[in-house]
Amino acid sequence: MERGYWIKSKPVYTSLVWHEKATSHLVLAAGIGGMAALKLFQQMHPAQPVTVLYAKYAQMEVDYSATLKKVVPENLHVFKFEEDLLTELKSIMPHMHMGLRIYVAGSEGFIWDVAKAVKPFGVDDAHIMKELTDTLARSVYCVHCKAVTKNVTTNIVPCCGCERMLFVRDHFSRNLGAYMGLMVDAESPGELPAIEEIYP
Amino acid sequence: MNMIDVRVAAIEQVTPLIKHFKFVKEDGSQLPPFSGGSHIVVALDAEDRTYRNPYSLMGSPTETDAYHISVRRQENSRGGSAYMHENVSVGMTLKITHPVNLFTLAKMAHKHILIAGGIGITPFMSQIEDLNRIGADYELHYAFRSYKQAAFVEELQKSCGNKLHCHSDSDGKRLDMEALLSNQPLGTHVYVCGPSPMVVAVLETAKNLGWPESNVHNEQFLAPPVGESFKVQLAKSNLEVQVPAEMSMLEAIEAAGVQAEYLCRGGVCGRCELSVLESDGGLEHNDHFLTESEKASCSKIMPCVSRTKGKLLVLDL
Repeated sequence: MERGYWIKSKPVYTSLVWHEKATSHLVLAAGIGGMAALKLFQQMHPAQPVTVLYAKYAQMEVDYSATLKKVVPENLHVFKFEEDLLTELKSIMPHMHMGLRIYVAGSEGFIWDVAKAVKPFGVDDAHIMKELTDTLARSVYCVHCKAVTKNVTTNIVPCCGCERMLFVRDHFSRNLGAYMGLMVDAESPGELPAIEEIYP
Repeated sequence: MNMIDVRVAAIEQVTPLIKHFKFVKEDGSQLPPFSGGSHIVVALDAEDRTYRNPYSLMGSPTETDAYHISVRRQENSRGGSAYMHENVSVGMTLKITHPVNLFTLAKMAHKHILIAGGIGITPFMSQIEDLNRIGADYELHYAFRSYKQAAFVEELQKSCGNKLHCHSDSDGKRLDMEALLSNQPLGTHVYVCGPSPMVVAVLETAKNLGWPESNVHNEQFLAPPVGESFKVQLAKSNLEVQVPAEMSMLEAIEAAGVQAEYLCRGGVCGRCELSVLESDGGLEHNDHFLTESEKASCSKIMPCVSRTKGKLLVLDL
């Protein structure tokens, strides 16, 4: 990683903190992201209504739902899978108004699935507070065949669509929720740099 | 700056205080196209000085054979709006700048709430043309003191229909900002143009209700305030300029023959920003462009509306 160099599209994640100014709050968490939600409830509890949607079984199969049920006073909905959570999210979004603040915690894939789900309702991802928990594993979009390879932990990965060896870039697509992958040995086929795990 | 020569084709007294001016190109050709919310700067050569005032274009962006502006005669005018009202007549030629838009509509918005106070209606006149054309969901809230003093209500009723909501002080129908901005659908953008207390009320209410900053837009051209006279040293030009009480620093610099950058001349766009090298008193920042910390640092100033409380200012110009 070159010092002082940054690809602007690479997302920056923070720790979740309640927005002081809001009319309602919506917390979305999956797997280990449940811990980030629990940490929110260690802060001063907002005066405005709070809704929490939690999916138990993310990639790492951890479950904070029992603890969440103890600390979330109302409107906690627990789901078995992320897809169920996203379905519920899409069904409640039409009833939301300006002043809603959205908080999301989980894997990068989950964060951007949420961003994609709320975008048609007029919520820009810049206004979603995002905490990356879980893993650094990336979704990689093949710029050659357009397939997305999920859960990539290495600097170079074979594309799940065309089997080209892709170099995983920091160049990120908010629309796809994935990093760009480019064929790494196009000019000298078979000559590959060392493959290392850098997104554990 | 590259100016356009225009002829005053018509003047209409719209209300006791507001005049509507129609400008056409001298050679009858088309004026440059513009988008809803744009403004121009009109240069007025008075006897002893040149006024350059920004005015919103209020005609339809699809019609470029003429530009339309409306000018409210300001009670404490330094002379610009009074000059427009008293000295500008049909047939006169004036110089105007190309249109610039510092108050654009958010194209991705799901709904637009436009809030106008008095003469602040003008930028919305061109914006509603754009909104009507694209079939956008919008509400126009027009607040004024009385129907007698309100300009263009009939035209607006025609173009906006039931999307127009008038709030007249004389009827006791004050605009309730909190009620207006509560329970709006996600993806709504709010735009305000009007007197300072109204703009502040909208910005504060939206902030307190948790609206993201990017969904809140405002335009408020400031007239350069009258202040104490002071001296400006221009370091690069090696020149000293006395800024009279009723002239802005930018106007005084221009009158001394020095070319300075500018766009809006109302403390909004930031184009005229100058570096302050020295000052013997606090700066009087009147603009809406610099951040609070930039203002506190006293290293930058907007000469279009800001002044110094001291006697001397040294600028990097």
